[in-house]
Amino acid sequence: MARLRSATDLGKKRQSILSRRDPSKPCVTICSGTGCHALRSDQVAEAFSREISSNGLRAKVDIRRTGCHGFCERGPIVVIFPEETCYLGIKPEDVPEIVSTTLVKKQLVERLLYKDAEGKKVALEGEIPFYKHQRRMVFGSNRLIDPKSIDDYIALGGYSALAKALFEMSPEEVLQTVKQANLRGRGGGGFPAGVKWETTRNAPGDIKYVIVNADEGDPGAFMDRSLLEGNPHSVIEGLIIGAYAIGSREGYVYVRQEYPLAVSNLTVALKQAHGYGLLGKNILGSGFDFDVIIHRGAGAFVSGESSALMTAIEGIVGEPRPKYIRTAVSGIREKPSNLNNVETWANIPLIIDKGAGWFTSIGTEGSKGTKIFSLVGKVNNTGLVEVPMGMTLREIIYDIGGGIRQGKKFKAVQTGGPSGGCLPESLLDLPVDFDALTEAGSMMGSGGMIVMDEDNCMVDVARYFTEFLADESCGKCIPCRAGTEQMVTILNRICDGEGESGDIELLEEISEVVQDASLCALGQTAPNPVLSTIKYFRDEYVAHIEQKRCPAKVCKALISYYIDPEKCTACGICLRNCPVEAISGGKNLVHVIDQDKCTKCNTCFEVCPTRFDAVVKISGEPVPAAVPSGTEVVRKKGKQE
Amino acid sequence: MARGNARSRSRKGSSSRGARGASKTAPVKKARGIKGIDNPLSESVLVSVSDKLGIPVSQISHVVETIGEVAQEASDTDEIVKEYKADKSALIQILLEIQRQSRWLPQDVLMSVCEKLGIPLSRAYRIATFYKAFSLIPQGRHHLSVCMGTACHVRGAPRLLDRVIDAIDIKPGETSPDEKFTLETVNCLGCCALGPVIVLDGDYHSNPSPKELEKLVTACD
Repeated sequence: MARLRSATDLGKKRQSILSRRDPSKPCVTICSGTGCHALRSDQVAEAFSREISSNGLRAKVDIRRTGCHGFCERGPIVVIFPEETCYLGIKPEDVPEIVSTTLVKKQLVERLLYKDAEGKKVALEGEIPFYKHQRRMVFGSNRLIDPKSIDDYIALGGYSALAKALFEMSPEEVLQTVKQANLRGRGGGGFPAGVKWETTRNAPGDIKYVIVNADEGDPGAFMDRSLLEGNPHSVIEGLIIGAYAIGSREGYVYVRQEYPLAVSNLTVALKQAHGYGLLGKNILGSGFDFDVIIHRGAGAFVSGESSALMTAIEGIVGEPRPKYIRTAVSGIREKPSNLNNVETWANIPLIIDKGAGWFTSIGTEGSKGTKIFSLVGKVNNTGLVEVPMGMTLREIIYDIGGGIRQGKKFKAVQTGGPSGGCLPESLLDLPVDFDALTEAGSMMGSGGMIVMDEDNCMVDVARYFTEFLADESCGKCIPCRAGTEQMVTILNRICDGEGESGDIELLEEISEVVQDASLCALGQTAPNPVLSTIKYFRDEYVAHIEQKRCPAKVCKALISYYIDPEKCTACGICLRNCPVEAISGGKNLVHVIDQDKCTKCNTCFEVCPTRFDAVVKISGEPVPAAVPSGTEVVRKKGKQE
Repeated sequence: MARGNARSRSRKGSSSRGARGASKTAPVKKARGIKGIDNPLSESVLVSVSDKLGIPVSQISHVVETIGEVAQEASDTDEIVKEYKADKSALIQILLEIQRQSRWLPQDVLMSVCEKLGIPLSRAYRIATFYKAFSLIPQGRHHLSVCMGTACHVRGAPRLLDRVIDAIDIKPGETSPDEKFTLETVNCLGCCALGPVIVLDGDYHSNPSPKELEKLVTACD
């Protein structure tokens, strides 16, 4: 690997990479993101390799394993360039047909294409509704890049923003550009990145640090992971530019060890960047030195908080400290330290390349640019989506997400991770940006967006998040440690049917204390899930407490399972599957659940064929008396004929 | 990490803290030998020692293997500490590496790390008990994670967890007495489209039914 010694060298490198590549040469790209990997995309890739060789196409077709494409619901995803034909849900056994039909005969394999609601087939990736409504400026390159190849990144113009910053701009100009772009932190708080940079730059001291926060701990959020796994160089390039503007010589990437692929792709990327002289001493011959160290996080949600993360980098337990002096002024080893989230850093090369004016033309008044969300839960198209700020929840959930699964009714969408809140149907037309979400009692957070339907109990959801936060509270300050515990106790009581009147008010009172008196953002925002569900779904709390009824039929203590004797056909499926043998019945006999034995595991409900629908869940009403044993099933033949 | 697996598996009983689930008789395995002594000890040497001392071959091979492991472990720890230049601030990284190789943090290893770094043992324990990645007890041969992320939760992860608990008869955070399974819950595996999902030894399974779970569990040795 030859070092690049100037911006001209970088340009030449790019030209030489491009000159070796024929844009009309077919290239099979296989998504190897976490979702597709779980669906065994590696076997698909191997099958392509075998099949292409055995067809003698080795020299005529390229294979590229890329990062996450985003459409996880329909993985593994295969896109064949240059046409950009997109095949979804590919299994190794589909591969021979794809090779013989599409690569050899240049025809489409119709059955593997995306089909819309009317059955119309869509061949091009960009025209699939899931992608069509997005604006993928940060995340879009993932599908074009092998994350282990710096050449792929350079071919797309990678590191040209770094060259521009180093040779055409002063550090002040870079800083001003980021300030003018009004880029707000993508990790949760939404603090303007440029302002933070300026604080660190102006803080006294020669040694300064820049840090990438990749301690993505929100359950149900995986965009930072997918960026770092799929396009690590975009984050590294952003970090170097930031270091140049701030005057830092040393940077850290704090990444969860639960993301082994991110760690390994990042390690490779750093090595390659070093090899090309894009990291280390005298970057691109500019005289600027900068290096990066990877620090693996050992699994603590609170360590994603800036001061906690920095103590963790020092090798001490990652607990937050009071921030009378910001970490931007006194962070790692009491030196000025600038921390930004993965997605924030990945935006930097784009802003430098295209200018602040371009960036501010996207988004809303207070929130510029795009945001990546992980759209998950009870939505048809689970995946990662990138949309301009200001798009409504409805557009994201229905136009991109394809609506609610199994035709169920939408109930709520939870944004902002455990510190966020649940928003009801009446707020579906809310434009998604930092300020609108906060105003509605939720927050942007790192971008988790969990869709819930009528079968989700909001008290149970509030309990879930509060339990998570109580577990993750580091215990340093009492309001958070004891407050969240007490909230869990009360929520458990309500879900167990032992709620008392006054519990809702008590929850609100504790919430206020936890919000006001906790040290770090974990505690200050911990009551959000409870407060937002009380605000928008108070009737569900009341039903649990006063009528001992769980409207969504989720809370085990408040529901019973019952077999409707009119509908039971004695098929015996529930009886065979019941793990505790609580169901009795026989040939032609109505099946009956023994309420004393039933553990409410939901198995009978799940296995009863939908054409019978004989197993019913009831809540808030007594279980009808069981039919006398030996009652024969009603044969419907007569009725139907 | 085949070597690491084998080591932690047979470590039971070899340290004061490892008595959990220790088996009375060690399985007759080919002794791995002791570094620098005779590597490995041949079957005939074992038999002759056994004859002279009147102790069964299996016990001797177990002792030899344990000593070999301890020696190996000490040299592994040395290497890891050296790799991080015995830097105190790399303590978390060093422990992560040991956890990755041995799948738990034995007390003697923690003591030796602290000695080398010149820090009190309490500091290592504070870290080992604060972060989720560390385990102070040996881990099972098969690792089962149930995702309790939000997306999985709303799609029925609690019910799936109950089913898993029924199937392997241990609770999250526990290892079965025969060290066959370790069960843990995790907060997001990043494959929400498959939710609710479990991962058994690296393989993902989307919402397995009780029957499917049983099949998966019985397929494990």
